[in-house]
Amino acid sequence: MSVGTLLENWSEFRHFHPVDDKPHDPYKWAMSIDLDTCTGCNACSVACYAENNIPVVGKEKFQHGQQMHWMRIERYWSEDDREFPDQGAQFLPMMCQQCEAAPCETVCPVGATNHTADGLNSQIYNRCIGSRYCSANCPFKVRYFNWYDYPTVDNVWPAEMTRQLNPDVSVRGKGVMEKCTFCVQRLRAVEVTAKSEGRIVREGEVQTACQQACPSSAISFGNLVDPESRVHKQWAAQQVVLEADEQEKNKEHGTSELRGYRILEELRPYPSVMYLEQVRESAV
Amino acid sequence: MIDSSFDRRDFLKVMGWGGAAVALSGCGNTSIEDGKETVVSYVEAADYVIPGVSVYYNSTCAQCDAGCNINGRVREGRVLKLEGNAASGINRGKMCGLGQAGVQHHYNPDRVREPLLRNGDRGEAIAWDKAYALIAEKLNGVSGDEVAFLSGGVSGHLKVLLGNYLESLGSKNHFVYEAVSPAVVRAANKKAYGNEMPRFSINKAKVVLSFGADFLGSWVSPVHFSQQYAQFRKGVNGQRGVLVQVESKMTLTGANADRWLVVRPGTEGVLALGIINALGASGVALSGDAAAASQGYDKARVTSETGVSAEHLDKLVALLKERTPSLVLAGSAAEGYAHGSQNAAAINLLNQVLGNVGKTIEAPAVLPFPQMAPAKGSSLALKSLNEGLAAGKYKVLFTYGANPVFTAPGSMKFKDSMGKAAFKVAFAHYLDETALQADLVLPLDSALEDWGTQVPEYLADGAQINIQQPLMEKLHPETRGMGDVLLALIKQRQADAYKGFEDYYSYLRSALLQNKGALGGGGSDDDTFWDATLTSGIIKLAGAAGTLSASSAAGLKLPEAAAADAQFPMHLIPSVTANLRDGRHANQPWLQESPDPLTTIVWDSWVEIHPKKAAQMGIVEGDIVEVASKTGTIKAQAYLFPGIHPDAVSIPLGRGHEAMGRYAKGFGVNPFQILDAVYDQETGELAMHETRVKISKVGQRVIVVKDEGVIGGKQDGRRIALSKTTDQVKLSEEI
Amino acid sequence: MKDIREDIAWAKINKDVLVSLENPRKMYWVIVFSALALFSVGVGCEVYQYNVGMGVANLNNPNVWGLYIATFIFWIGMSHSGTLLSAILHLMHADWRKPIYRFAEAMTTFSLMTAGLFVMVHIGRLWQFYYAFPYPSERWVWPNFQSPLLWDAMAIFTYLSSSVLFLYVGMIPDLAICRDNLHEGWRKKLYTFLALGWEGTDRQWRNFRITYLTIACFLIPLAVSVHSIVASDFAMSQQPGWHVTSFPPYFVAGALYSGCAAIITLFIILRYVFKFEDYMTKSILKKTVRLTFAIAMVWTYLNAVEFAAVWYGHDVDAKQVLIQKATGPFAPFWWGMIFCGSVLPLILAFKRFQTNIPVLFAVSLLLNLGMWLERWMIVAPTFSHGYYPWVWDNDQWPSLVQWGMVMGSFGWFTLLFMIFCKVFPSVSMYEVKEMVYHRSLHLKKDETAEQGAH
Ligand SMILES: Nc1nc2c(c(=O)[nH]1)N[C@H]1C(S)=C(S)[C@@H](COP(=O)(O)OP(=O)(O)OC[C@H]3O[C@@H](n4cnc5c(=O)[nH]c(N)nc54)[C@H](O)[C@@H]3O)O[C@H]1N2
Ligand SMILES: Nc1nc2c(c(=O)[nH]1)N[C@H]1C(S)=C(S)[C@@H](COP(=O)(O)OP(=O)(O)OC[C@H]3O[C@@H](n4cnc5c(=O)[nH]c(N)nc54)[C@H](O)[C@@H]3O)O[C@H]1N2
Ligand code: SF4
Ligand code: SF4
Ligand code: SF4
Ligand code: SF4
Ligand code: SF4
Repeated sequence: MSVGTLLENWSEFRHFHPVDDKPHDPYKWAMSIDLDTCTGCNACSVACYAENNIPVVGKEKFQHGQQMHWMRIERYWSEDDREFPDQGAQFLPMMCQQCEAAPCETVCPVGATNHTADGLNSQIYNRCIGSRYCSANCPFKVRYFNWYDYPTVDNVWPAEMTRQLNPDVSVRGKGVMEKCTFCVQRLRAVEVTAKSEGRIVREGEVQTACQQACPSSAISFGNLVDPESRVHKQWAAQQVVLEADEQEKNKEHGTSELRGYRILEELRPYPSVMYLEQVRESAV
Repeated sequence: MIDSSFDRRDFLKVMGWGGAAVALSGCGNTSIEDGKETVVSYVEAADYVIPGVSVYYNSTCAQCDAGCNINGRVREGRVLKLEGNAASGINRGKMCGLGQAGVQHHYNPDRVREPLLRNGDRGEAIAWDKAYALIAEKLNGVSGDEVAFLSGGVSGHLKVLLGNYLESLGSKNHFVYEAVSPAVVRAANKKAYGNEMPRFSINKAKVVLSFGADFLGSWVSPVHFSQQYAQFRKGVNGQRGVLVQVESKMTLTGANADRWLVVRPGTEGVLALGIINALGASGVALSGDAAAASQGYDKARVTSETGVSAEHLDKLVALLKERTPSLVLAGSAAEGYAHGSQNAAAINLLNQVLGNVGKTIEAPAVLPFPQMAPAKGSSLALKSLNEGLAAGKYKVLFTYGANPVFTAPGSMKFKDSMGKAAFKVAFAHYLDETALQADLVLPLDSALEDWGTQVPEYLADGAQINIQQPLMEKLHPETRGMGDVLLALIKQRQADAYKGFEDYYSYLRSALLQNKGALGGGGSDDDTFWDATLTSGIIKLAGAAGTLSASSAAGLKLPEAAAADAQFPMHLIPSVTANLRDGRHANQPWLQESPDPLTTIVWDSWVEIHPKKAAQMGIVEGDIVEVASKTGTIKAQAYLFPGIHPDAVSIPLGRGHEAMGRYAKGFGVNPFQILDAVYDQETGELAMHETRVKISKVGQRVIVVKDEGVIGGKQDGRRIALSKTTDQVKLSEEI
Repeated sequence: MKDIREDIAWAKINKDVLVSLENPRKMYWVIVFSALALFSVGVGCEVYQYNVGMGVANLNNPNVWGLYIATFIFWIGMSHSGTLLSAILHLMHADWRKPIYRFAEAMTTFSLMTAGLFVMVHIGRLWQFYYAFPYPSERWVWPNFQSPLLWDAMAIFTYLSSSVLFLYVGMIPDLAICRDNLHEGWRKKLYTFLALGWEGTDRQWRNFRITYLTIACFLIPLAVSVHSIVASDFAMSQQPGWHVTSFPPYFVAGALYSGCAAIITLFIILRYVFKFEDYMTKSILKKTVRLTFAIAMVWTYLNAVEFAAVWYGHDVDAKQVLIQKATGPFAPFWWGMIFCGSVLPLILAFKRFQTNIPVLFAVSLLLNLGMWLERWMIVAPTFSHGYYPWVWDNDQWPSLVQWGMVMGSFGWFTLLFMIFCKVFPSVSMYEVKEMVYHRSLHLKKDETAEQGAH
């Protein structure tokens, strides 16, 4: 325990991605969500509850804005004052964007939220002191705080319901922050298997729970550095570059025929989720 | 799917015995799940439990009738999560939210755990043999005609066994009731295509014109259709599919439409005929029937009756003419009127005019075992049961898989009629409204601990029989599988015929093995076939392909629009949501807390009102409004919703339980209660959308509990959810 | 105007001040018990919140911070005036500070302690608060040195310890007086211990002066940095409305402002309760009031700078937050802040109000209300109107638990302060003597000069 170890340790503390001297190797988990096929059905959100032991808070707490859904489906209407939404609505699944330069990470006083080498924004429940600074600084507001000790709140997990809890995922107690993890427990399991077999995780070997459920397959997920992966191909085809804060194709505003974009990219969090714009038929 | 290091056969043995062991000993404490009293060491764990390692079993989703094939994750003997079975042609590894919540049905804290016998206002626990004896006693001296059995849609061996049981009682009174079912559309399809449910190939269509069919949310086989929809959007035919939805209240599918056309409630048929008329005028050859039916439905009339603008009508007609094949669907909104059959017929006629029949409307597979084909529920069945009950015809009533006290239209006064039966037995998972009226409540296993076979009505991928198998041991020792109960009851009548079957599992096994050849297991021995069947969870059958046979639409005539009702000026649209459907799953908290996709409201009911109408009436969000029909009155919070015709209000079905459990009881209101007794004139089905109401402010206001923030669905000019039009993108170059 | 009498005898000074340790007016007890009651309310709220969860505060996503952080900044701000009056004016040889600096320093210490409480009640896992300190851990787990909140924790800790030291060192000669003048009892033992054997020798005085000056010099930049760091919690994050370069000076100005206002309030209370009319004179009050007025104008200016920068900048989101402050649900509070913070102090420009005790008492309370509102208006609006419209939520209102703890903090502060004033001399006896001495020298000089003229 010395200042030396502190400094040495400190220099290792934060992985900044993307950086030239530390490329993602061998993994960079990323997602793309096609808003043209997403129907807004909420199956992904329920799947996330099931996979990640998310508490159901009940009506009263929901009213107070204390819901815990890691993945929320936002529904937007066009804003041109038409009498009827005659081009439908627009749905947007929103969860932690696993930012590469995550605004939530830098502000956490205790380093409870960090970047992992495989490109996730991780959350260490045991380390979190519940300052909520990370949430204050997350532009997407996708961090959810345990305002109550949900495991002991009536009817959140009554006796039998506890048996559904996924043993691979911690049940969070009061006072800690949580959020979408890209189903890190599934990633770690396959990463370890692959490592023990001396290879890297293959495309399709792992799915996030939301992706797996999604009835219209709107969500793709995979290893962005693997040229064989669907996300890699999609990002490339859409000319969305992870380390850009303004995509080349958008320099001339509104001219691109490509649908890929990242939300609030201009704030430079470098999100790991690419969305594909919704499409509406022009002939009708 | 099955971990190779793990002895599958032994497990099945255990599971097979499980049912019997419990039935015999009633102790069932072999489970690590009961571990509060006894610590069971993993040193002596059951051989199918590998600590820390998950195993996966295929089974069938029982949350709705679509029959999706599922794959359950089990660890340490507990089922944790349900995924779709990737080998399924129905859901292709996918699942909806409702299906996901199956585990909460299973682990529900409010399940009935032991047989209950009415004693005044209370239920008293009794033993199963007493309960069986009581049933035998009550049936004694009662003729078969005096016994009625009400069930939800049933299929597979359970249907066979149920039929046999009723036969043994000498009863023909099996009423198959589903509160929300496409019964009118089935009848119309039968006429138009020769099949009640042909296959709709959304993925092969370039245009889908849906008249209120919420195929992405709750209609027929939503997960399957969502898969098709994704392909349709991606343009497997080289062009992105165009979805046009016609309805008076926006459904989830409507919210995904390229063009959402709001029509005056009930005028779907008018629009369909108007399109036929316009197609004819633009040179599409019309059959004599089509020409006759659409005669007079010119643009002026159609636009004025439906409220659809001439511009939209023209564009739609042009699109349908240009992009073929297309697919036209008649959904629950179109069929919900007194002239629902005509509406549906007009819509189906449009398919014929467009030449879609045989292209995007295809013959369904034929199930080689018709006795296992689903008995399809309808509301007509409930109507006749109710009439019989009211007339005192039935002395003994059984209910299973239906909750008519909750779902019967208020005008039917079903609860009163039910009271007239002397002895009522409810086979139930929860003490729901109907079970509370019963004299004897028999607790059932959940779908995740029971055996069964199921055949979906909508055979998306050829004929198939779905296997349902226990994913874990019983949670509660005193629940029984429905098959086991039926078997026990039928043994009361025909002990000899069924004495070979110790339990429903052995019945099922031998029933399937008997037909091994026809089921595709010709070459293999029994055990191999059985293992393979259970492993895959699906028996795919090489059934003969069905045929489509169009009958004429001669005589199709829509009634004149009903005159406005001055006293009840508005239409009530009871909406069926993907998660709650008819309300049988309302006690699953994930579903209560999963926001309604369109309003984002949770845990409560609401009344959708168009903002324009609301402004006229001085109603703002959260105002409690009274919705009064001829039949009854309910009060709920108002939600200003742009996707609804200004002359209509909509209230979702499924909430408003007065019983059933902690997550259901007391949340929201039940619009079934105020439905008027109006029926489709042809089929006699309840016309769910025909109830007229008046609304008024009560003077209270609440905060609407919903996910969207204070500015509702606006982005405030920020680039959050973006959209392009087809001429701005090059979809063909996408991955 | 009546000022400290130059001919007041040193013995009388001792007596007058020491009497405050014995029998204050009845009002003292009224204040102490009210404070205790308020504090108990706060404790009750915290016990409840601790047991049930932060949810009872009615915080939510996105409104993750509420009155706790706002009030935290308020108390940190309050602490600044002690340092200002004591250290800066000490360096500037402003002798009018002498009768009032002691209680101002006490105020600094206690408001820092109060601020610290808010950090505690704010965090979700109070029992793990020490994770935020760089304590040696066998697991080599360090806090995140990048986080302004961590700087905050360290800065406040440093400031608190330095302030306690400053207060204590400055009190040593007086503690000796207490030791020598008080009858036997626990307090005498306490004073004996704390006086560190002070005899008033030359050498002791010399060392004392150097030590005191050194701490004062150390404290001034520290004070400025502490509030700058608190400002960094906001300015270094990227929320619209927070990401403002001028926040550090703005925070410091606000801090001095509320501190000065609080000094006026406490001045008036102490003067009455402990019968300090001879020492806490109106002339000193007037100087404090003028200082307050000046700072109010600086604060107003910085406010205007911030608004202008946001208004004319290209940050649409920040601009919307500003508009929403002025027109949205927070508008009454925001305009209340402007009124209390920028309009009301104009009264202080008028001479006749500069010594009007009832007016000043009311105004000083309102100025502090304004400064508290300022902190709330910094914290809350951006949460309800951030980058992401879907979660905009301004329906949530702090629950009674939050208000209870805010009230409790005032109780706690008052309690500590009142107990301090009863146990320790709240007017610096030795410095007042010095002041009187210097003034009498002047007097003498003047007299001699006058005589010479004749
Ligand atoms: N490879 C590897 N080995 C390790 C470690 C490691 O990190 N890696 N960690 C080491 C450490 S730190 C530890 S503490 C040990 C832990 O090693 P063990 O002490 O063996 O701990 P467990 O296997 O967790 O639990 C032992 C048994 O206790 C049973 N049990 C649970 N509750 C009760 C009860 O109330 N009464 C009784 N009688 N039995 C009960 C459980 O069912 C289980 O079978 O492992 C050590 N071994
Ligand atoms: N789910 C679950 N949770 C448990 C238990 C369980 O059985 N199941 N067991 C409980 C028990 S008994 C225990 S003891 C705890 C153990 O809990 P932890 O102490 O958290 O256990 P580990 O994960 O074994 O080790 C912690 C870290 O120490 C690092 N490490 C290894 N060697 C060194 C070293 O020389 N120096 C330093 N600085 N770091 C090193 C490892 O890489 C690892 O990241 O877990 C408890 N929690
Ligand atoms: S989306 Fe929010 S929580 Fe997720 S990494 Fe980015 S800043 Fe952090
Ligand atoms: S809430 Fe937890 S993770 Fe977030 S900043 Fe505070 S300590 Fe870090
Ligand atoms: S990736 Fe996993 S944790 Fe994240 S939203 Fe999807 S299911 Fe939830
Ligand atoms: S499951 Fe798929 S389609 Fe449904 S809301 Fe989620 S992303 Fe959209
Ligand atoms: S559609 Fe029906 S059967 Fe399929 S997953 Fe959903 S609830 Fe289950």
